[in-house]
Amino acid sequence: MVADRPPFEDLYRDFMRRIYAYVRAQVSTSADAEDITAQVFMNAYQAYGRFEARNTTPAAWLFRIARNATLDHFRAHGRRERLRRTIEHQPAAEVDPAGMAEERIQYRALLAYVAKLPERQRDAISLRHSGLSFEEVGGLMSCSEDAAKMLYHRALKALRDSVQEGMA
Amino acid sequence: MSDNEDRELQALQRQLDDAFETTRPRAGFEDDLWSRMQARRPAWARVRDFVAGLFAVVRRVPAAPAATVAVVLVLAIGIGVLSLKGPGRGGGGSAGMSATSRDSGSAPLAGTASGAFGRLPAPALQPVSGAYTAPTAAGPDGTRAGQPVVGLYFGPAKLAWAGQFTIRLTSAPVYRYAEPTSADADKFATSLRASRQPVPAGAAGLGSYSGTDFVLGVVGTTPSPLREPSFFLTPDRSSLPAPWPTAMDTANAFLAAHNVMPAWPYVIAVMESADVERVLYLREFVVEGVGSQVYMVDGVGERHGLEVDLRGGQPLQAAGPLPVALDTAKYPIISAAQAVKSALASSPAGPASIEPIPTVRLTTVELVYALAIAGDHSFYEPAFLFSGSFTYNGVTYLKRVLVPAVGA
Repeated sequence: MVADRPPFEDLYRDFMRRIYAYVRAQVSTSADAEDITAQVFMNAYQAYGRFEARNTTPAAWLFRIARNATLDHFRAHGRRERLRRTIEHQPAAEVDPAGMAEERIQYRALLAYVAKLPERQRDAISLRHSGLSFEEVGGLMSCSEDAAKMLYHRALKALRDSVQEGMA
Repeated sequence: MSDNEDRELQALQRQLDDAFETTRPRAGFEDDLWSRMQARRPAWARVRDFVAGLFAVVRRVPAAPAATVAVVLVLAIGIGVLSLKGPGRGGGGSAGMSATSRDSGSAPLAGTASGAFGRLPAPALQPVSGAYTAPTAAGPDGTRAGQPVVGLYFGPAKLAWAGQFTIRLTSAPVYRYAEPTSADADKFATSLRASRQPVPAGAAGLGSYSGTDFVLGVVGTTPSPLREPSFFLTPDRSSLPAPWPTAMDTANAFLAAHNVMPAWPYVIAVMESADVERVLYLREFVVEGVGSQVYMVDGVGERHGLEVDLRGGQPLQAAGPLPVALDTAKYPIISAAQAVKSALASSPAGPASIEPIPTVRLTTVELVYALAIAGDHSFYEPAFLFSGSFTYNGVTYLKRVLVPAVGA
């Protein structure tokens, strides 16, 4: 029912920054994050007429679109670059000075470490800290809630190890 | 897990919470993106929002006598048409546009069989709650700043004809196109050097594409809001060239750079509201024997074509008809007397929202082209657009009646 569906503008205002942060944690530049975020909401806006609130939460629906858009971005543009960064084992380069100014410097390095995690671990961390429940994370990642919890905790430990190695 | 490790992980979780919570796009991105999304909305909704943005005062209509009339805007400020240029004649037509076998209105129609498409679907207005109109094309003198913006009324009315019917026409072309496919959309995108991008399962439209500095969406014919197959081109605003001195020049350069300059005849008008300028390429059809311009209108009778929105002098988005191959056929046109009779006897396009039923003197009539959908084919058909205004509770409304010009 349409009555179950909040105005899209509400969704946009509630989720735009969360979606951006989720995407930003996975790509190397704020410009890429903005492009993907724009694509996410353009697609969501176009498809919102068919969104069924009874079947999923708005958050899960939007993050599914965001997740797919991010994966598509990597497929299309980023595979080689990510491989290069992994080999060099250094935080992702920030090439957007404006983006740097807008972001909290102290957290950028942490998100760069998140971006270097294996895909599923990175996803689990990003989705969870974007405010989704483990049930929603599991739904998006095609696994159970318990499996999502386990994956998240493994990812958290891997992240800690990665950060500690980087600081050593 | 040791207490120490537990504390480490908890601290890391807090840092992650803070990192995600404080990660923000650049200032202005949120509003900028919202504007781009709004620019994809139907024309009537965008006109309404443009209008709404201009008004400093909103007041409620007194409840009596019509409970169904909820809110109207005080229509005090007009949208200014900033500039107007003579009709383009396909100059600068792009490779993508020229793929059409016969652009509407751009060529004589010799040799087309009369009535070759058989019985046609009737074009009709589409009632839209809260739709407004603003002058988007002025007279030959150019600017018409300060023209009032009025609400559109689609409900029942007691109609009278009080104008001069000067259109003399015995036949006019009808244009038909087949509903484009995803392959057609791909071909169009390729002409713009854009490549297909995946979209969520079930997403509407014929395709989503990306180029080096833009994204492109293509949709087919939509019955509600009534619209022909269209494209939406959104640039990467970080890589745009410096703006030209005028909005019109910038829009022209933007369309030319992306190979989407209209190949059909048009008249340019520029609307301005708040910080957004809209350059409209109002589509014209050439009809032999008709001296005046014959415009395409949308589902509420507004002149319609391709639009380029700009903010800060830079393009936000271009939206316009997807080039499609058009077949043509001549059809006989009804007489003036028949047209007036049909207008006065017409059924209202929308439900009653004003009581008592208003009396409206229709004072103008214009030959236009309107879209009529029929399954996998749709038509651009000639029609007579009658108009008359009336005042209700101090608010001016415009009543439009669209009469199919092709005889039954």
